Amino acid sequence: MTEDGDSGQAPVQTPVLPGELLDLVDEAVVMCDRADGTVRGFNRAAARLFPRLRLGEPVSASAAEPLARAAARGAEQFDTVHEGRRLDGRRQSAGGNTVWLVREVGSAQQAEAALLGERDRSAFLEETARRLGASLHHGRTVRTLVQIAVPKLADASVVVLPASGRRTVWHRAGPGDDRSSGEVTVESLEQVPKVADALHGLQPRPAVVRPQEMDALDPVIAGELIPGETGGALVVQLTAGGVPAGALILLRGPARARFDEADIELAHQFAVRAGLALATAALYSQQAHTIAVLQASMAPEPLPEVEGLRLGAAYRPAAEALHISGDFYHVAPSSEDGITFFFGDVSGKGAEAAVLAGHVRQSLRTLAMTTTAPEPLRDLRLLNDVVISDGSSFTTIVTGSARARGDGSVTVEIANGGHLPPLVLRSDGRVEEVHCEGTIVGAVRDPDFSSTEFRLRPGELMLLYSDGVTEARGGASGREMYGDERLADALAGCFGMQAASIAERVELLTTQWLAGRPHDDISVLTLQAPPRRGSAPLRQHHAPGAPGAAQDPESR
Amino acid sequence: MSGTGITDVVRAEFDACLAGADEDGALGLAVGLVASGLSAEEVLLGLVAPAQVTVGEKWASGEWTVAREHAATHVSRRTVDAVAAAARGTARTPAGAGSQGHVLVACSDGEWHVLPSHILAEVLRLRGFHVRSLGGDVSPYGLLSDVHQNGPDLVALSCTLPWNLPRAHRQIETCRSAGVPVMAGGPGFGPEGMWAYPLGADLYAADARRAAEALLSRWPPELRGESSVQAGAVEAYAMLVRQHPGLLEHSVCALRDGFPGLRGRSGVEHEEDAEFVGRLLDSLAAAVFMDDERVFTGQLAFAAGFLTARSVDPGCLREIVDALAGRLSESPRALEKLSAGRRWLAEQGEDLRRQG
Repeated sequence: MTEDGDSGQAPVQTPVLPGELLDLVDEAVVMCDRADGTVRGFNRAAARLFPRLRLGEPVSASAAEPLARAAARGAEQFDTVHEGRRLDGRRQSAGGNTVWLVREVGSAQQAEAALLGERDRSAFLEETARRLGASLHHGRTVRTLVQIAVPKLADASVVVLPASGRRTVWHRAGPGDDRSSGEVTVESLEQVPKVADALHGLQPRPAVVRPQEMDALDPVIAGELIPGETGGALVVQLTAGGVPAGALILLRGPARARFDEADIELAHQFAVRAGLALATAALYSQQAHTIAVLQASMAPEPLPEVEGLRLGAAYRPAAEALHISGDFYHVAPSSEDGITFFFGDVSGKGAEAAVLAGHVRQSLRTLAMTTTAPEPLRDLRLLNDVVISDGSSFTTIVTGSARARGDGSVTVEIANGGHLPPLVLRSDGRVEEVHCEGTIVGAVRDPDFSSTEFRLRPGELMLLYSDGVTEARGGASGREMYGDERLADALAGCFGMQAASIAERVELLTTQWLAGRPHDDISVLTLQAPPRRGSAPLRQHHAPGAPGAAQDPESR
Repeated sequence: MSGTGITDVVRAEFDACLAGADEDGALGLAVGLVASGLSAEEVLLGLVAPAQVTVGEKWASGEWTVAREHAATHVSRRTVDAVAAAARGTARTPAGAGSQGHVLVACSDGEWHVLPSHILAEVLRLRGFHVRSLGGDVSPYGLLSDVHQNGPDLVALSCTLPWNLPRAHRQIETCRSAGVPVMAGGPGFGPEGMWAYPLGADLYAADARRAAEALLSRWPPELRGESSVQAGAVEAYAMLVRQHPGLLEHSVCALRDGFPGLRGRSGVEHEEDAEFVGRLLDSLAAAVFMDDERVFTGQLAFAAGFLTARSVDPGCLREIVDALAGRLSESPRALEKLSAGRRWLAEQGEDLRRQG
């Protein structure tokens, strides 16, 4: 290294050292014309540490090995053990010359430094465990992992994930704030055997890799850290209980010391924690993906848009985190300018109920394909056979159809299999129950279902709901059921609102009643004949003088 | 928000559509503005958002019923969807700016005012962010599960009511412990969002435009926040939550003793009274949690206006505050907030007397 830049010039003459003065100093002082150049002077302490040092001769490895090695890699500081002594040195310049100042670290200082180093390493490992343990999202865990390693362990760190085909994904952090990711072929990885081994979980200890071995991975490694210029590379496997989770490549730039024993041990400890977090996140992500696919197949489909009809729905499963439910509903446009629908509730909740709900939905949709006109009663009888053959569960269900008529009203036909009777909000603000009773579906071989037909005039609405609404326990005491009466009153207060906002309002009132307490699956389906334009008389429902009225402004 | 190309005439017309729950009219008007060259963001923030503030005011002043307010809000929501869809159709959106970013928009549990978060989601989408929206009243489990499943870079949390601040705090902690930074927004976080940072939020934005700009100028967002909620405040809050049913019953009884006219009311009306008093209790608890009396006095101010608009003597608030103070002598933190409430009510009373 020639950073002093004076190699081409005549040596600068400096005043003779006041040697006697420097001999009083405990620190070893060595002055040369360059970092590894000719020795111009040194004090008594330097002579004690480096007895082969000679004036006028170069700072060679044989004369003063720590100085020569630090000079060779351009380091400004070093901390090393030389002939049984722990030495701490730094490079300065004075009068155009290079001055090495070297201090012997005493055993007490050495112990203190070791303790501080140990404390620092445990803090780093603890931070690693905390930050990686918090995330179960695989992508986020990988990104956090490569970021934590920089700068503590390396100038840049790369994680290569296990391959699932002919290519695999890598993520890199560093140098500096640089973040990137990409893909690399399995073929290139296999040209670096230590990385390939780490990916297969066959590299239990971190392995130092020579620059030329890394050539095949050039695209993965940051430009300024291309092998040949690096301070070194370390390959560490990431596994959890033998299951490979990835390979970690730590890269150091030319200005940084190579990996020593302590660094390698720390990298190993880091990888143990990181591997566990990464493997856990990978497993969680696979399961989360499976669940998401199942959730999507079980969730109600979006409501169709049908001319002359307004629809609304709300759906709040008990297992909110999983978003699966034993409540189910489906609305499909029918061939004769209307809709067919069903709405039900399987006994029990959670995954088991959701599976039966899925069967019921599929069966009814298949039945719908077998006829041109809706036949709610026939559908219920066939469904009863299906549920009985399915096992020990039951379901309640309302099936039906609705058709917009020329005069703006809607005719609705429903058949009931043991479900709560629908409510109807009339245009005079009254709420009626639709009388239509039937046996629960899947309970007996010879069930008794009934059907009924009624009309909704413009603005009128039918509400279907699951027992999660009326059986919600809460209120002031926290134990009272929401109940039919409150639901009917709430619905009466909704006159003038659209089908979608009424469904949401019922969900809101139930949820507020619950005030965060656990609940059963909650579902609501509303069907409305659109009000005549300009004829929505939005009456004042709350008499003046009442301090109450639920406080829920939509905006404040 | 003048000078955006939205005239007072347009505004009045849109307000009339909301008042009449005229969805076709509102959609036609708003989409027409986008077609005539106005940006969707201007229409959402300059027309729909202020109109919705008016809707809330009409409800608070007693002019509109809850049903009418909800019918109008539904029209606003449909308008937001239609404006966003129209803007995507014209492809005039500033492309690519936030295309790397994945934002999850959610309301804390107990928060049902979905429209502001709905507008935020669309504004961020129009700026190129990938946005998922969980809607209203999101449970902590639902939020955590979504964060782990989908790995957003940021959670944007909306809170419009200060009594929900303790729940917002739990949501913020949930996200941050999973390593995801949180941007807080909504009037629930107080004037200039003064309660957002004490709860540990990493960012605060006063509106959707500022949220988008803050994210675009500094991406990815970083975990920087730190909760300064005191352990003592949490304990005092927890005690109030535990005692909620008893305190509620006691205050409602005191209210009926002080105002015998309330006794003859129906069951539904009794429940509405209880809910009203319940909100005051929630606000007291939130004030204790935040250690800031303004959470409580702010709710008293809203309540006083609400009652006056419905020809009810706001003096009943004093009755409630006194009843609570009688039961909470063991909790210095709660008493301190109640005293502040009493002072605030006394000052208001004097103002009224001076005016009268």
